[in-house]
Amino acid sequence: MSSQAPAAGAPVRRNTAALVWHQIRYEQLSFWRNPQSAFFIFAFPLVFFAILAGVFGNATLAKIGGRSVTGLQYYTSTITAVSVMGACYSQLAVTLSLRRQEGILKRLRGTPLPAWVMFVGLVAHCIMLSLIDAALILGMGLLYGIPMPSHWAAIIVTLVVGAAAFCALGVAVASLIQNAEAAPAVVQFIFFPLVFISGTYFHITSRFLNDLASVFPVRPFNQALLNPFAFDRGFAGHQLLVLAIWGIVGGFVAIRRFRWDPRPE
Amino acid sequence: METADAVVVEDLRKSYGTTHAVAGVSFTVRYGEIFSLLGPNGAGKTTVLEILEGYRRKDAGNVVVAGFDPGDRRTGRQLREQIGLVLQELAVEPYLTVRESVSRNAGYYPNPRDVGEVLGLVGLAGKEKSKVKSLSGGQKRRLDLALGIIGNPRVLFLDEPTTGFDPSARRGAWEVIRGLSGLGTTILLTTHYMDEAQELADRVAVISGGKIIEEGTPATLGGRDLARARISFTLPGGHSAADLPVRAAADEDGRLFIEADEPTELLHRLTGWALDQGTTLPGLTVDRPSLEDIYLGLTAAQDAAATPGDAPVPRRRMRRRT
Repeated sequence: MSSQAPAAGAPVRRNTAALVWHQIRYEQLSFWRNPQSAFFIFAFPLVFFAILAGVFGNATLAKIGGRSVTGLQYYTSTITAVSVMGACYSQLAVTLSLRRQEGILKRLRGTPLPAWVMFVGLVAHCIMLSLIDAALILGMGLLYGIPMPSHWAAIIVTLVVGAAAFCALGVAVASLIQNAEAAPAVVQFIFFPLVFISGTYFHITSRFLNDLASVFPVRPFNQALLNPFAFDRGFAGHQLLVLAIWGIVGGFVAIRRFRWDPRPE
Repeated sequence: METADAVVVEDLRKSYGTTHAVAGVSFTVRYGEIFSLLGPNGAGKTTVLEILEGYRRKDAGNVVVAGFDPGDRRTGRQLREQIGLVLQELAVEPYLTVRESVSRNAGYYPNPRDVGEVLGLVGLAGKEKSKVKSLSGGQKRRLDLALGIIGNPRVLFLDEPTTGFDPSARRGAWEVIRGLSGLGTTILLTTHYMDEAQELADRVAVISGGKIIEEGTPATLGGRDLARARISFTLPGGHSAADLPVRAAADEDGRLFIEADEPTELLHRLTGWALDQGTTLPGLTVDRPSLEDIYLGLTAAQDAAATPGDAPVPRRRMRRRT
């Protein structure tokens, strides 16, 4: 038993890096203990990819910017993007709404854990899931026969920027959702139309839709991944900028509007 | 900043719209004490507690907890290293095991208690490897309490800690609370169970309509220690009240009672008479008003005095606050 009382005013805190690591570890543990959510984050995009890749294969799906893109190349990019969005945006929005509704966030707010450490734990977790998702889909794409990409730095940076931006948007949406029952519906209501007009499941040729979708974060993310996966090109600067701006907007809303208490004043 | 008292509250005020949930509350809790806020639902207990815990902002007044102002964000982390809390609503994450849940929170504090020791203290020894979602409601509550004390808090806030417990679980929780107090933890608890306050509290304050209407020890609250003793019994068959050696009045149930500052001699005459008559005094009791009697008297008087605009419970969102 610990007999020494806490020294008033001069507590010996563990160092910040250790605290962040502690939080990341337990965030991981909570996630892997919930097999349902693990299934949807990994198996769902893989099944989708297997079906689309099986249907379209190595046939040319579209001419984009004068270059032929096969179905495999196209869907390796877009399904990677959609799985990152699922792991970051959808997961965070639903998880945070649920934790708030159940009073878990409020309870956590009563501990000395700094808020930013909690968020770092969540975001690190989401980025890690995103990278695993991307690796699984790329691995499957390689099995189906897409050429090995060569611009790895562009792939990693795009994934991390995309994951971070969609995490920020997930927290922002969680801040605006009132009750957890509505969370999955609100999340999908925002997500699905965007995913469709952004060409995630089929190539969009309408110029109007493409211009419209380019303003939102999903299509830029798709394009930034098509660069290394389909065109053997590196960074898509413009698209990454759009993603980063959305991330900053999401982060701003998240910081301003985030609520811990299920029944705020 | 070190203060002599664990909790100081001076003229605390908080309104929701036009509702004065807390209308000028003052009290202090000394280090090592168990202090209980008593009051009906909607009296303002939880609002006071949530201001002390840093969840809600005060409108006016002065509040110090373990030397810190709970409304000051800059010292929020330091304050929360010194306090533990158990909220009214249970909040535990379902997928971790009991030990993992407690170990996780232990990592947030500079000087946590030993996880095994805390689980033993709250009666969850042997459940370390159970998933939280497989626990019974009572066990989850104990886990919640374990999370409240794992940080080795100097001041522990308990908001209606035994609401919904069965009688034996309540006794168990009381043991834990007394044990923590014995280890030097200052405890501020709210309850609407008089027996709980009686069992645990060194001092109690009755809060009603957002104000403290009485404060004292459980034994002396509302002049309880000065109240007269009351002998009551049922008249034995074949006798009338006029036959008795002392004058007794009848209550609404037809039982007879006698009130006295010092009942010993009266009781002796009464029982002596019954023995002489070869009879008994059915249902004979001698008692003083219970804490509950005092409390009901105090809050009823307050209710009668309250104006309609003083309704203490805001309509929306706050309906489960007390």
